[in-house]
Amino acid sequence: MSTQQPNRLSRRDFLRWSGATAAVLAVAACAPSTPAPQSGADAGAAPSAEKIVLRMQVNPEQEKPVVDMYRAINPNVDFEFVSVTGIDHEEVAAKILTLVASGQALDLGYAATEATQLYAGQKLAAPIDEWVKRDAAELQEYFADVHPSLIQAMMWEGSLYQLPIDFNAANMYYNVAVLQEAGVEAPKTDWTKDDFYNIAKAATKKNASGATETYGYAWTNRLWGGWMPWIFVNDSNLLVEEEAPGGEWLWGQFYADDPAAQGRGGGWRWTAPKANDPANVEALEFLVQLHEEGITPAIELGGGDTLQGFFTTGKLAMTPAGGFWAGGLNNAGMPNGSFDVQLMPKWKNQRHQFGTAGQWIFADGKNKDAAWDYMKFRISKDAMMANGMFNPVTLTTPTRRSMLTAERFAETGPANWQVFYATLDDHPDTAPIPAPPVSNPMTATFVAYTSRAMNGEMTPQAALDGMQKDLEDLYARTPNMYTRSS
Amino acid sequence: MSSTATTNQGAHKSPNPFSWLTENTLHGMARRKALLGYLFLAPTILGILIFTAGPVIFSFVLSLFRWNVFSPPEWIGAVNYTRMFTDSRALTGFWNSFVFVLFAVALQVALGLLLAMILQTRMPMWLRYTYRTSFLLPMLMSGAATAIVLGYMLHKEFGAVNYYLGLLGIPQIPWLTQPGWAMVSVIMSYLWLATGFTMILFIGGLNNISAEILDAADVDGAQGLTRFWHITLPLVSPTLLFAAVTGVIGGLQVFDLPYIMTRGGPGDSTRTAVMVMYESAFKNMEIGYGSTIAVVLFLIILAVTAGQFGLSKRWVFYQ
Repeated sequence: MSTQQPNRLSRRDFLRWSGATAAVLAVAACAPSTPAPQSGADAGAAPSAEKIVLRMQVNPEQEKPVVDMYRAINPNVDFEFVSVTGIDHEEVAAKILTLVASGQALDLGYAATEATQLYAGQKLAAPIDEWVKRDAAELQEYFADVHPSLIQAMMWEGSLYQLPIDFNAANMYYNVAVLQEAGVEAPKTDWTKDDFYNIAKAATKKNASGATETYGYAWTNRLWGGWMPWIFVNDSNLLVEEEAPGGEWLWGQFYADDPAAQGRGGGWRWTAPKANDPANVEALEFLVQLHEEGITPAIELGGGDTLQGFFTTGKLAMTPAGGFWAGGLNNAGMPNGSFDVQLMPKWKNQRHQFGTAGQWIFADGKNKDAAWDYMKFRISKDAMMANGMFNPVTLTTPTRRSMLTAERFAETGPANWQVFYATLDDHPDTAPIPAPPVSNPMTATFVAYTSRAMNGEMTPQAALDGMQKDLEDLYARTPNMYTRSS
Repeated sequence: MSSTATTNQGAHKSPNPFSWLTENTLHGMARRKALLGYLFLAPTILGILIFTAGPVIFSFVLSLFRWNVFSPPEWIGAVNYTRMFTDSRALTGFWNSFVFVLFAVALQVALGLLLAMILQTRMPMWLRYTYRTSFLLPMLMSGAATAIVLGYMLHKEFGAVNYYLGLLGIPQIPWLTQPGWAMVSVIMSYLWLATGFTMILFIGGLNNISAEILDAADVDGAQGLTRFWHITLPLVSPTLLFAAVTGVIGGLQVFDLPYIMTRGGPGDSTRTAVMVMYESAFKNMEIGYGSTIAVVLFLIILAVTAGQFGLSKRWVFYQ
């Protein structure tokens, strides 16, 4: 009997080989992924008889009327709705990025200012310049109806990436009954920061035990509409802003006769942080003062639902919000006339901040031509009128000036609905919230330090110094954000 | 012998690569038996290698790169690690995770044991089942749903909790808007969710204590705290170890409650290490940096768990 054990499969050998297999798998997984081959030079140029499925990030309920209209004339196009929700724009963007990272690119996305440069800067979004130039005749009517500042906000380094559909500038909503009870007049267009303070103070009401029953002012801790409007009216910004070169092709083609378009460039650049600018410190000190005096409650995170609860129950006099709030208040049971809206008060100026949103085409999408065709259809007047965002209730502000009519707001209010577009027309220096390609980490930093100042953990100066340092580190880690590779 | 010799001669004539396995000897039988065992083990081991060890190794490799998914990874060596140890947000995240674990797990274990002992006392069966079910029900709830509901309940101005405290004359508590209270709120919410499970563990542990030992303790006059410290606690110590180990591992990975209730705020006061990892990797698309935090967290959990098992030799008593 042989005592040899040839080719013995020991436990140690088995585990060794298994470990090696895992290591090979891990190394293989580290290799840069190879993009999937595109079918054809541009798969979007499919024969019209061929079925095309457009994968689209939308709110299915709101989008359905538009899709139905489109399919009536383009029966060969089917749609797959991908609903991406999140607490804020940053979370939605994170989910989109994760989708793309996992190889599940869509054809059309929907992005607000917060993510425009994020997607363009990562080259996830395709510039639409060539399509716009090709279909200029069809688009002339759209551009004539939309303020150039909204268009400029959708540009990146001279190219256009989105056709804005809705926008919201942070105006000041006020509860009519609360102001009347406080014995103060409704604010006028040219009201000032001091007027605001007096109204807010007068409207703040405390009970016998000292607890606040009605707050004069409240806001949500976020990039858009938080304390950013106060930074803007104090003639400042969170970041150093400048206009990118380029864009002449667009302004010359569509806005040649519009004075509001004169001198506009190829989009915005936010080149460096200036969080601890004295004007910003002053603005934050003002908001901390309001909180310390009991005029504002502790700040909230999120989308503003809580503030809506405050406002509709008469516990809040004023809050910054955009056109989207009117529909929300009406849905929450506030009748027309019980609330109204005014421009932000003037401080050093009355420059507003806004955010705007529209569809964008995925650079790796398989049906880019078809996606453009739908995108173009979606900003037509008929399609926008049918869109669930604006019909039957106006849930956000349409970018088309012609859609802002008395009839639109007759049922819901506000009475002073003209203020939405007047923000752009009367203050053409109004600009988008600062949202560079690193807007996600920037917003997290902005929100965290704002919170520290507002809860007394840090002084406004210290909080903004800390914010400045973190933002400088962030910018140092991401140099050449605005250097466009060919 | 002759037949074996014949077989071996045949093998020399036409070599059989599987002869080591097919030979009809004791060794051959032992090898076949071993192979069968390994075949049965293979799915599990492969699963662990692919879905556990693989990602761990992959995370470690990624932590040495700068990678935003959309561009090719760039080798940067230990830069992410040096950055992490100077990143106040990441360090705060780890600190918050430790604070959370310290209080949440200690209270979870203590309350779980207390509830289990209360349920072991004499009471009608229906009452025992009612209590047991009530304490266990939160465990069936989704953490995200719980966080949303508790977020509303703990709202300073509108919340039900402050409303009822107000009826008692207690001023409004800034549950979610002051750093200290925010961590307290997250810990309380975690306890509400997790204590039921610990209670069930301890009920099992208490039921395993031999009746003879308890009777002997009674005869010896051990009552109350004396009996608890010297009889009950040592005998449930294996369960205590299990609850502490799983609690610490779960606690260091806490994410959903603070993410939804406070978004890590106010400031960074409830931002945990896993939140910083998620935000770095998936919001900021700094996959390498997020992986660095994941690797460090993994090593910490490994070390703490090993430490718990090491120390357990001194205080865990197995019957």
